[in-house]
Amino acid sequence: MTTVVMRTTTRLVVPLILVVAVSLFVEGHNLPGGGFIGGVLTVTAFALIYIGYGLDFLEEGVLDREVEQNQFEERTVFAYQRLFLLGLVIAVGSGLAPLVFGRQFLTQTFTIVEHVPIYHEIELASAVVFDFGIYCVVVGGLLTVLSVVGAE
Amino acid sequence: MSPPEAVLVFAAVALPFLATGLVPLLFRFLGERTAYFGAAVALACFVLLLSLRGSEGAVGLEWIPSLGVGLRFYVDGWALLFGLLASGIGVLVFVYSAAYMHDEPGLARYYGALLAFMGSILGVALAADLVAVFLFWELTSVCSFVLIGFYTDEADSRYAARMAMFVTVGGGLFLLVGFVLLASVTGSALGSATFDLTAMLANPEAMRTALRDAGLFVPALVLVAVGAATKSAQVPLHFWLPNAMAAPTPVSAFLHAATMVKVGVYFVGRLRPLLSSPEWTLLFATLGLLTMAVCAILAVASTDIKELLAYSTASHLGLMIAGFGFAEVYGAEAGAFHLLNHALFKAALFLVAGIVAHEAGTRRIAELGGLREDLPVTALVAAVASLSMAGVPPFNGFYSKELLFEAAYETAHAAGGLWWLYPAIAVFASAFTFLYSIRFLMLFFGDRPDALGEVHRPPVALLAPPALLALVAGVVGLAPNLTIEAIVQPAVDATALEAHETHVGVPTSLTPAAAMTVVALGGGAAAYPFYDRLHRGVLTGLAALAPIRANWWYDRTVEGLERSSGRLMSRVHNGILRTYATWMLGAVSVFVLAGYAAASVSIPPMEVVVSLPIVLVLLVAIVAALAVVVAPSHVAGVLTISLLGFMIAIFYILASAPDLALTQLVVETLALLIFLLILEEIPEFYGDLDLSNAVRDGALSLAVGVTVFVTVVLSTRETPEAEPSLARYFTEQAVPEGGGTNVVNVILVDFRGFDTLGEIAVVAITALSVIALVTMRNRGGTQ
Repeated sequence: MTTVVMRTTTRLVVPLILVVAVSLFVEGHNLPGGGFIGGVLTVTAFALIYIGYGLDFLEEGVLDREVEQNQFEERTVFAYQRLFLLGLVIAVGSGLAPLVFGRQFLTQTFTIVEHVPIYHEIELASAVVFDFGIYCVVVGGLLTVLSVVGAE
Repeated sequence: MSPPEAVLVFAAVALPFLATGLVPLLFRFLGERTAYFGAAVALACFVLLLSLRGSEGAVGLEWIPSLGVGLRFYVDGWALLFGLLASGIGVLVFVYSAAYMHDEPGLARYYGALLAFMGSILGVALAADLVAVFLFWELTSVCSFVLIGFYTDEADSRYAARMAMFVTVGGGLFLLVGFVLLASVTGSALGSATFDLTAMLANPEAMRTALRDAGLFVPALVLVAVGAATKSAQVPLHFWLPNAMAAPTPVSAFLHAATMVKVGVYFVGRLRPLLSSPEWTLLFATLGLLTMAVCAILAVASTDIKELLAYSTASHLGLMIAGFGFAEVYGAEAGAFHLLNHALFKAALFLVAGIVAHEAGTRRIAELGGLREDLPVTALVAAVASLSMAGVPPFNGFYSKELLFEAAYETAHAAGGLWWLYPAIAVFASAFTFLYSIRFLMLFFGDRPDALGEVHRPPVALLAPPALLALVAGVVGLAPNLTIEAIVQPAVDATALEAHETHVGVPTSLTPAAAMTVVALGGGAAAYPFYDRLHRGVLTGLAALAPIRANWWYDRTVEGLERSSGRLMSRVHNGILRTYATWMLGAVSVFVLAGYAAASVSIPPMEVVVSLPIVLVLLVAIVAALAVVVAPSHVAGVLTISLLGFMIAIFYILASAPDLALTQLVVETLALLIFLLILEEIPEFYGDLDLSNAVRDGALSLAVGVTVFVTVVLSTRETPEAEPSLARYFTEQAVPEGGGTNVVNVILVDFRGFDTLGEIAVVAITALSVIALVTMRNRGGTQ
């Protein structure tokens, strides 16, 4: 699959996908999107890189690290693992936070900040934190599966 | 009668379990002295129960209030008698174990299981809720399994442990069904559905009438009887008890003489006021007397001292069951008093057998004899205990057996005819009881076989517990009425149908019961010279007729089960992914469809409103689905599957569900990429398609499709128009409550956040299991 067409397309498309993924995540509360969709789309970008450039490209080409043979899963997978664990911690933590204020587990709230330049008003919803937890778990979890299975 | 202190009752049951948890820790510091810790716990329970004496009543905690299930305990004379026996003998067994189990490996497990076992027994004794009874009942079986299988590297031990587990836990399941039947009529009998045994025992008439009206009286009775018979080793389910002798001797003394096997008897006594009826008498008197006779004969055929004692235990359990079977008041007296007497002399005898095995190095009856010179104190203990077992006056076993004779005689006298068989069988069994009791005693008398090596004196820790038990048994024999007044009468009151003052004594005139005793003892004494011939005769008979033995049936059953499960495994469970998928999908479809059929649901009439775009999209999807099946290569197959997925996404868009469509699109894209990533690894050629496989897969696909279709149709029957409250609530509240205009997302992260949390936990678990399965599969041992 590592043809020139594939690689060129990947180069062009991956940044776009990542931007769209982030925008889907951010807009999720008011427009179609959200943590889950954004997460899956992010994983899609990584999957394209894996197909186009091989599994070691992220380590060697992007992070400029030496990759030993058969050591692939050691470092990257640990990073993914940490990511989804972090996501779980964020999600559970955002659920626990309301307990401090005497509310029930996972209670969400929001405020609207007005008079912001350019945007005029911004809505700050606590649910975004929880959604970010979902995003991290989906990205970390799916990438773990993808890279472990891909390494086989 | 004052109500009991709830704290004391709960403490008595909970203490052994707490101690079990501490044992592994304590064992590091105390080592073998953990035995004395166990003895202290047992003593504490004993004292707690003793302090409850004289009080009566129920205490309890809520457990599952909606089902009428609670953690209820009921204290009365019967519960206290059994509880005091279990904890009192527990103290002695722990002390004895300290010496007997010296230098054995795995002692932490041993003492832990023994303590948990004692807690379960106290739980059964005190529990007054059928669910709690069942729970503790099965816990005794589990602890017994661990203790019988204590020598894990011996095949005998494993075989016996498995057999005991199979029989007693299996019986427990019968009991559970019986309990459910009992509880099912409480709604009409007592006004509210409950598992509360105290409430049932308070209204036995209403319960019996309700059971009979529902036609459940005999089924419930039989199910409870099966449960009790397996636990208390009644014919034909007695065979596990002699095998259980693979356990260390203190375990045999504690579990298989004094406590666990009495759980069935105890519970029969407990239910006696509730279910007493002609059917009850017929069932339990017959079962008990049959067991008493058959196991007494088998005891005579035994070649090993522990085997002899095991069959004798089953025989005496039969005596108690028969006692509780008779409706006469003497029956309850026989059962309750013999429970105490038997525990005293049989535990002593097992401990004596342990001393003999420990000091003489053999348990074979033929190799033992004349031990009184080497073991004088043990011989004295054995004499008191065996004569009590034989039912010789004035030893304690005599009085309770006399009560059974009276009950049997009175029943036969009142009913006449075939009922005269009852006293006849009782006398016959007692003659055999006398025979094997004397045979056991003769181990200590007569000539000492030359082959018997040097026999050591036992240490005090081994000797004191049986000596104490024999002493108590002797005192009970000399002052039976004092004992009855102190501890047995309250137990009789709880199990008897009418109030009656129990009074026993050595008969001074020739009453029918006294005549029966004379016949039994005389017959036994007359037959004793022919003991060896009887012994050989029974053995030859058993060897010639293997199918007559329950054990033979057990072995055949287990073999058959093993063979058929092996065959089943290779079909269902053969390690090939598609086999698992086939069975799983097939089973789910069958069960779901059968469920719909059983509930006789009907497909609601549907107004099918389809627009042209939807028809086109679905047509493309169908074409793609057909193309998957005939795709010539992997790439074509994957792409056509994706086509199907994208069509579904477009369908979502047409049905105005943008979030679903977006998710479907993204997931579909990712799935396609993953397929492409792994495509190179898949072999080029599938192999030729087998026609039968194709038919099977086609049928399976059709079944799954039908199931999903019917489920969707049925579950979306309630359209939002008909039931608008929830949908309207979410759409109305999304902005003011969640602050978002995307209702789907607000539901996900706000209203139903807990569901989402569960779902992302699933994603994380999937990732973890992939890591465990793929990257760690080469670690550790492989078979």
